[in-house]
Amino acid sequence: MCGIAGMAASANVSQKLLRSIAALEYRGYDSCGMAVQRNGVIDIRKNVGTVETVNSLERFTDMKGLVGIAHTRWATHGGVTQANAHPHADNESRLAVVHNGIISNYKELKQRLARDGAAFRSETDSEVIAHLVAQKIARNGQDVEEGFVEAIDELEGTFALAVISVDAPGRIFCVKRESPLIIGLGDDANYVGSDFSAFFEYTRRAIIMEDGEYALITPESYAVRSLLTRERVDKEVTEIEWDAEKARRGGYPHFMLKEIYDQPTTVQAALQIPREDIQALAGMIHESRQCFLGGVGTTYYIASMGQYFFSRLGGRYLPVVSTDEFAHIAEIGPEDGFCAISQSGETYDTLSALRHAKTKGARTAGIVNMMGSTLVRSVDVPILQGAGPEKCVISTKTALSQAVILLLASMELGLLAGRLSEAEVATLREEVAFLSDLVLDTLNERSGYFHTAAQTHQHMKNWLYLGRGIYYPAALECALKMKEVTYLHAEGMSAGFLKHGTISLIDENMHTIVLMPTPDEAELHALTRSSAEEVRARGGFVLGYRFEGDEVVEGLFSEEIVLPRVSPLLAPFLHLVSGQLLAYFLAVALKRDVDRPRALAKSVTVA
Amino acid sequence: MRALILAAGRGAGLYPFTNTRPKAMLPMAGEMLLHSALKKIRAAGVSDLVVVVGHRADRIINEFGQGSRYGMTIQYIRQDEPTGIRDAISLAKGHFQEDESFLLVYADVLASENMYRQVVQAFGSFHQPVAAICHTPHAQNYGTVYLGKDMQIERLVEKPVEREVGNYVLAGVFVMPYRLFDLLESFEMDEALNELCAGEGLRSSIWEEPWLDAQHPWDLLQGNRMVMDTWSEARVDGSVRLRGAVQFRGPVVIEKNVVIESGASIFGPCFIGENTFLGNGVLVRPYTAIGANATIGFGVELKNCILFNGVRVGRLSFVGDSVVGEDAVVGSGTLTLIQNLDQSEIVVRMPEGKVDSGLDKVGSFLGDGALVGASNTLASGTVVPPGEVIPHHYTYPRGEN
Repeated sequence: MCGIAGMAASANVSQKLLRSIAALEYRGYDSCGMAVQRNGVIDIRKNVGTVETVNSLERFTDMKGLVGIAHTRWATHGGVTQANAHPHADNESRLAVVHNGIISNYKELKQRLARDGAAFRSETDSEVIAHLVAQKIARNGQDVEEGFVEAIDELEGTFALAVISVDAPGRIFCVKRESPLIIGLGDDANYVGSDFSAFFEYTRRAIIMEDGEYALITPESYAVRSLLTRERVDKEVTEIEWDAEKARRGGYPHFMLKEIYDQPTTVQAALQIPREDIQALAGMIHESRQCFLGGVGTTYYIASMGQYFFSRLGGRYLPVVSTDEFAHIAEIGPEDGFCAISQSGETYDTLSALRHAKTKGARTAGIVNMMGSTLVRSVDVPILQGAGPEKCVISTKTALSQAVILLLASMELGLLAGRLSEAEVATLREEVAFLSDLVLDTLNERSGYFHTAAQTHQHMKNWLYLGRGIYYPAALECALKMKEVTYLHAEGMSAGFLKHGTISLIDENMHTIVLMPTPDEAELHALTRSSAEEVRARGGFVLGYRFEGDEVVEGLFSEEIVLPRVSPLLAPFLHLVSGQLLAYFLAVALKRDVDRPRALAKSVTVA
Repeated sequence: MRALILAAGRGAGLYPFTNTRPKAMLPMAGEMLLHSALKKIRAAGVSDLVVVVGHRADRIINEFGQGSRYGMTIQYIRQDEPTGIRDAISLAKGHFQEDESFLLVYADVLASENMYRQVVQAFGSFHQPVAAICHTPHAQNYGTVYLGKDMQIERLVEKPVEREVGNYVLAGVFVMPYRLFDLLESFEMDEALNELCAGEGLRSSIWEEPWLDAQHPWDLLQGNRMVMDTWSEARVDGSVRLRGAVQFRGPVVIEKNVVIESGASIFGPCFIGENTFLGNGVLVRPYTAIGANATIGFGVELKNCILFNGVRVGRLSFVGDSVVGEDAVVGSGTLTLIQNLDQSEIVVRMPEGKVDSGLDKVGSFLGDGALVGASNTLASGTVVPPGEVIPHHYTYPRGEN
């Protein structure tokens, strides 16, 4: 997802356009840029980083012109580099284009255009639009509108895009197919944007573009025409009743809930990561004498879950180290490997650990959501999560996707180690494909239980999460979710560890949540049951999370929440989702700042 | 945008209070449901209303009239037979234009903040039919929602009673296209909404503030608390007369011409309606809502209760966790019991049989005009029919009681 904005005005546009892309930053924030046209010249400035960073580097506000377009990017094709940032231009920079979407036939177009003399400067699919439109304009005697429409006819895929050209001063041409695009009508300026956030500060009158239409915008007027007939289309002008903050979250009350509901999609995205990439990670682990997994905070707990996957399916014990302690403890050498996990790829502690590992000559891998981040650029084997931008400081969908990737890697390791056959891996991958539906089912049919539990127990200040086996790191992660967003005291603990001290804390001021395994995991199940009984025997309140079809636990808990029937392989993922939901509804009930909890930052880039 | 308000519902489960009024005219925290809804709808920028009325329509029409007192224009449609939501909506077809989207409101739900504004804004932002959704512990009694990507409702399942579910449910506020009227010609409401999901799409608007659809008389107390919990300041009308030392604490709301005798203690959140009289030494504890024109005698204790307009409570009585209907009289020295000795859940004796309240403290429910004689003790979970007369209770002479 990317965000585009454009503006044709009777006064300088750069300042206002800057605010537009800042408002669109939720759509992507790995790089951004702006193009402004003045006196037959198009000035393009762009770079890597947040809107604020790039503005300080490139000084957008120094740009002068009455018409301009801007873009904030979330990379899909091509790495995060200055060249790949938008806007893109043709050879002579006679025009500039910003694009949101995917041009599916860009390879063919790129070859053809390159043959005809187009000099490509980036690896993006979007740049072909600039060259294609330029070529069509040239072939139509510099008629920009005609060239624009002919070019659009040749594009396949989904897009919303805006073009400015020195051959049509003071005008913006724009069009959409499947990706969103909206025109805003002001008093002395007209606007275009991916959504209302682009211009909500300037006007509330808008026109919603439909597929099959294109538009031409000037400071005083606009025209929407049919791509097919070039006839003008009468469009209704809508007055926008608008809650900008909320619309930016796609209408969700918080980014955290939005990202929790993104998870079915995120799981699919993780399954679509090229299998070679996952195999490369498994290969590195297989070949190394020992391979460390590293993360910090949530990623440390996710790495700890990975540890169980690698042991169960790959037959390998992988040491997991919290990256802030890595240099103090990890005995790592040239025959070893290190796989780091980080959403941002800029986490200070994790990058330090990575440097340490590299200094010692180890091979390195990274599981990262942010394309183009330092971690991606620094490791031998990068794996990109493709989970899309995560805006809430609390990590939800990226954590789940990291766990899926580790599971997939453990299967490949099992294959390499001769513990699993190709057919078994195929069956396991099919099983993982169900996770998407299971998560959706949990969200749809069970979220209310967590809401009710949060309402009922919101006054409880101390929480203890218990789990055994892989449910132990899941318990740790659930407790961390609760701590960071509700500010309540929460601890995760292996259920077996409880009686060695911590059980003395059990009283009416502490609630215990037990993450039950599936009934298929008989031994684990029996052991976890006895831990729940220990807590109840001391008068503790126990909220049990169990799976459908588990009849053994009847009467064991003070209260219970039943999750969908699931295989042991996928069960821990549903517990992660449970932890997110309870933390979220508790935070809402306690009126916490859900998306920006106190004292926390999305990417911790300091020691 | 205009609005279609469905206020014909009776709310039979709310006996003994809905024999004499529609559900939308039940008071909580000093305000009738419909009154609170219309105020919020007005604040959301919608002032042109079509209201469907049925059961005891007169009560609504007398109160709201043409709406001018509320800065609104109100037209009424009568639904004479209680034949359900589908018919209620269909009756309004002629009142709307063919390309008109309208706010559709079930007037009998209570939301603590402005749910209507949120729905209007969601429509404004995304230009798609919208349905407010929320969580409730009783999801299986409602239209349950399955969400897909980007807040789109994929489908609805109406009252999946065969099992308990934890889905979001329809919260009773929508922005609907005119096409709904056409769909309702061949479909039930839930099917029509499913048609919308499959067609132009139906966007959810997630409501996270407290929400209540009162089903039982004791739910009124929950609604009362829900609203009062949003109060943060005291508001005492300038015309209120305090005859001596009166103690106030917390968000106390007192309307005009209330008279309070010396020695009273008023602890908020609580509400006292206009022209009400509180005698010496009255103790009003939190979550008490007293209607207009009520008389509360010397030494009465009230807590977590709703007294409708015109209620009289005689001296030295206790009314707690209870609801007392319009013009009912609680004789002096009467006690409502509120708890079982073993603190077990209170069972309420409704006309259809015993109903588990799920609460460990419940008092009594007195219908409009009920008359409880002096010195009675009402067991917890007692329901007194409207107009019922309970004689005085005394110990001498014996046997005449």
